[in-house]
Amino acid sequence: MAMQAEIQRPRAGNSRMGPDGAETPTVQVDCVTKQYNDGGFTAVYDVSFDINENEIVAIIGPSGCGKTTLLRQLAGLEHPSYGRIYMQGDVVEAPGPERGMIFQGYTAYPWLTTRHNAEFAMKINGVRPQERHKRALEHLKLVHLEHFENHYPKSLSGGMKQRVAIARALGQDPPVLLMDEPFGALDAQVRWEMEELTVEIEERTHKTIVLVTHDIQEAIYVADRIIFLTRNPGQIKEDIRLEFKDNGRFTKKEDLISHPGYSDTEAKLYRMMREEIDHIREGT
Amino acid sequence: MADATTSGPADADREGGRVKAGPRPSGAPFHPPKQRFFSLQSVFEPRTRMILALLGAATLFLLWEVAAHSVPDAREKFFPPVEQVVGELYLLFAQENYIVDVAWSCLRIYLAYILAIGVALPLAVAMGTFANLRATMNPTLSALRYLPAASFIPLLLVWFGPTDTAKIILLFLGVIWFLVAGMLSNVLALSKDLVESALTMGARRRTVVFNVILPATGPHLITTARDLSAVAWTYLVIAEVVGAQSGIGAMMMRAGRFMQVDVIIAGILTIGILGVLTDMGFRLAHRLLFPWEY
Repeated sequence: MAMQAEIQRPRAGNSRMGPDGAETPTVQVDCVTKQYNDGGFTAVYDVSFDINENEIVAIIGPSGCGKTTLLRQLAGLEHPSYGRIYMQGDVVEAPGPERGMIFQGYTAYPWLTTRHNAEFAMKINGVRPQERHKRALEHLKLVHLEHFENHYPKSLSGGMKQRVAIARALGQDPPVLLMDEPFGALDAQVRWEMEELTVEIEERTHKTIVLVTHDIQEAIYVADRIIFLTRNPGQIKEDIRLEFKDNGRFTKKEDLISHPGYSDTEAKLYRMMREEIDHIREGT
Repeated sequence: MADATTSGPADADREGGRVKAGPRPSGAPFHPPKQRFFSLQSVFEPRTRMILALLGAATLFLLWEVAAHSVPDAREKFFPPVEQVVGELYLLFAQENYIVDVAWSCLRIYLAYILAIGVALPLAVAMGTFANLRATMNPTLSALRYLPAASFIPLLLVWFGPTDTAKIILLFLGVIWFLVAGMLSNVLALSKDLVESALTMGARRRTVVFNVILPATGPHLITTARDLSAVAWTYLVIAEVVGAQSGIGAMMMRAGRFMQVDVIIAGILTIGILGVLTDMGFRLAHRLLFPWEY
């Protein structure tokens, strides 16, 4: 790990080709509007974007911009009021094992040991005991928890509990991993470790990752692309491709921060965030 | 990493480490102030806690003893001291076959309580899981809580006569609604994230109920059952007052007719001890069933 190159480049995508020879996006969000109270409150308004295979996309925006609502709709835990969400070409109607999700709150099951947590998704999907044991250990190695396989979550730290949840979500081998402010409750150092781990997991397992966060630095570090949502209703303010990363990813956060492109992007995102906050202050 | 594998004094000895751990730290040893008895949110050793608990119980018996001896001699019959009641308890077991009464009472209570848990637990889990069931049943079930179980005694006597069936149903009615209400709030307190995370793993409804909701709420459900077991014991005497030949309550009613106050108090003491033993049984079961909580 120590002597890795500064930037890792993802290998060429091998996703399904559409009839016209173009890649079918892994996730398509098509004109999604989400309203509550019979249309009295609009959380997300007319949002459309595609996410391609092996992409890491961060959704950021001010508090209350509907980013979590949007992610929950991708998961199938909530439904759009208007529009459609497609997963590999099929309309999303309910949660499914092809879209794993990591929540902000700790969801490692307290009654299962680390290993049985990691096996849970495979168990309920009918994977045979020997096979799931083997794969669970691989996933626990990936999140550096192989020495804690017999611990209950109660004896683990917050970051370790989140790593258990990640290993468990990897169990069913989902092409898409949805992460809802997964590191929001962790302290700064653990958060940083978890961000690096997220990039590492994508590099090793080639997941498509959608990360909801309110942390600008986290978004720039982890993502290939940032979708910035405005507040009330949530609309796409800008879809930012992080060009300075030159189609690669940083394995170490200090390499990112010392890159000249980083501070420009960070300043730009802070300006966008300020515009939104000023909007709220002016009541428009 | 927060891993426990890289900590401890060995780290300080490493090359390049800023601190070289010496044989003795250079600072003077610090003695923290002694913990006060009434210090805020203090934590005691289990042994200390045990001693304090016994001290609390001993105080109660001491007060009883002092009160009994300050009663005028002519009235002593109505307020016997501790040793007389304990002596009576011994005689009851040794000569009056009291153990049979105790066994009958325990049998009735435990049977009624197991039945009540058997009904309340699935009902609460079903209502807590499915909002339509909850909306249909909970208002009515909550209202039933306000009907005193004792008011069913005439009805039960008409239906079943002074039988064990009537007693067990009365004990059952005394706790069931409280058990349902308590267990329902346990299920409703379950974090939504736990259920949703299972759904995003592809869990079906059945799997969510049996592999997530039940294990997640189980420890709380058993704690509710433990807390409310006390309510079942409070109904015991009422249940056994009604035409019973056996049981602790029947024994106490017989003693009442002959104004044997020491025997009545011995009965009360028995119920108290059995209640505490039941509580301890639940605690033990909790520890064995849910090791991850400890």
